[in-house]
Amino acid sequence: MNDKILLQVNGLSKHFGGLAAVQNVSFNIRQGEIVSLIGPNGAGKTTVFNLLSGVYHPDSGSILLDGDDLTGKRPFEVCQKGIGRTFQIMQPFPHMTVLENIVTSSLFGRVPKISMRQAEKEAVELCKLVGLGDKQNTFPRNLTTPGQKRIEIARALAVKPKLLLLDEVMSGLTPTETIEAIKLVRHLRDKGTTIFLIEHVMKVVMGISDRVFVVHHGEKIAEGTCAEVANDPKVIKAYLGEHIEDSEESTC
Amino acid sequence: MIFFYPKLVDSYFLHLTIATFLAMILASSWDILARTGQVSVGQAGLFGIGAYTSALLYQWIHLHPILGILAGAIVAVIAAVGIGYLTLRLRGIYFSITTIAFAEALAVIWLMIPDITGGAMGVSTPPLFGGNRELAYYLVLAILVLVIFVVWLIEKSRLNFAFTAIRENEDVANVMGINPTRYKVLAFMISAFFTGLAGGFYSHYNTYIIPYEVFSLNVSIACLVMPIFGGLYTILGPIIGTILIKAIEEYLRVTFSYGHQIAYGLILVVVVLFMPDGLIGLWKKRILPLFSKKEIGEG
Repeated sequence: MNDKILLQVNGLSKHFGGLAAVQNVSFNIRQGEIVSLIGPNGAGKTTVFNLLSGVYHPDSGSILLDGDDLTGKRPFEVCQKGIGRTFQIMQPFPHMTVLENIVTSSLFGRVPKISMRQAEKEAVELCKLVGLGDKQNTFPRNLTTPGQKRIEIARALAVKPKLLLLDEVMSGLTPTETIEAIKLVRHLRDKGTTIFLIEHVMKVVMGISDRVFVVHHGEKIAEGTCAEVANDPKVIKAYLGEHIEDSEESTC
Repeated sequence: MIFFYPKLVDSYFLHLTIATFLAMILASSWDILARTGQVSVGQAGLFGIGAYTSALLYQWIHLHPILGILAGAIVAVIAAVGIGYLTLRLRGIYFSITTIAFAEALAVIWLMIPDITGGAMGVSTPPLFGGNRELAYYLVLAILVLVIFVVWLIEKSRLNFAFTAIRENEDVANVMGINPTRYKVLAFMISAFFTGLAGGFYSHYNTYIIPYEVFSLNVSIACLVMPIFGGLYTILGPIIGTILIKAIEEYLRVTFSYGHQIAYGLILVVVVLFMPDGLIGLWKKRILPLFSKKEIGEG
């Protein structure tokens, strides 16, 4: 890991009517890091991802990726600038084969554009990488949940992102599948992709994260290594409530 | 065979064939836009623009019909860009409603400025190629071949991926680097070009156009019934759908006035409810398996 800051987020806020989904959130992610974003349900994690990927425009604050200002950019522009993302609820294109799903992403997410042949070649490699090598020509509906998650990951990777946003890719997986998925994430990082993930499965978070951000009620309440965050009284309070007797069990 | 066709049939049949080819062009070009998930119910607007542009250019400056037809198509594309950027950010039903309004508004505007447009009296032009139906046949055939070629090119290119992705899930397509508005406008432009060509051809071939006819909802509905019946997002679907619908229409026209409009309605209902992939889908899903099973059984 080096110290180059890849993603710089400053004072990000987003309101939905009277609800402050994200309030004044700032953080940095360094090149080559694996960073997790955790927090109780409804804390604003996915909103942060939606702001980063341009699905929502922030009310205030700024997003800088590798020197490019992404604030207020539309999703396809953000994608072409180098942020790939998966969705919490898997959304493959149902009438395209697995390979076509990934080719689509390769064709349009890349700058400069690549040829159809090149896109197909890369998609085939990605299929193998995420473990869908033998499922290329099936339709997404014939795949299991983890299979569909693999499509999501492959599609996000197909744009050759500088930063990969993974929204709960491990939830709903069996322990064996989870281990596979963790291996995959580590492998991706080793190949140079910076990874920012939302995760509920604490074993996963603690296992792979270099750093962890904790959000609660739309605000960032803690940041640090797994151990630092797990012992932070504010984090424990957010997860377990005010009156805690057995805080030692902690969130991990 | 398709080249010697005019020598083989009588004038009535030739006319029928030309009308069918014209409808195929409209059906195929509607399907191009449909590939992005947008249902246009205002193709009559583009058709009318194409028709009036070439007819009026002939009336004003005696522009050669071929050039006039081309000019009509270009004006239709310009209209599509304008309408597209305004409305293609809208999704689904809202875009459809806007396109109806566009065609209907044009009809009203046309009646309001009769000095320019000829108003309710319409515009007349001399017969295309001096009334030579054979040449008219070759012209409409050329346009049809061109539209089919363009659809084929789209299917082979990256556009197919963009169009399909936008149709299946616009938000996801967007996050994957596809600018939905841009590709929808592009599809609308291609669609408008061929619809405009068809309009221009119609005005010269028919020698006479009136706003009620070229801007009418009937034209817009015809554009969408044929591909839906035949099978959406395919090259053959709009072609087959048009042949069958034109046959039904011609039969009903002589036996039961306005019967073809009832037929349109019935076909739409039946197709949407029971065969959403149209005749092509029915063939692939129900008919082909019958044969392949038989083969397995025999083998």
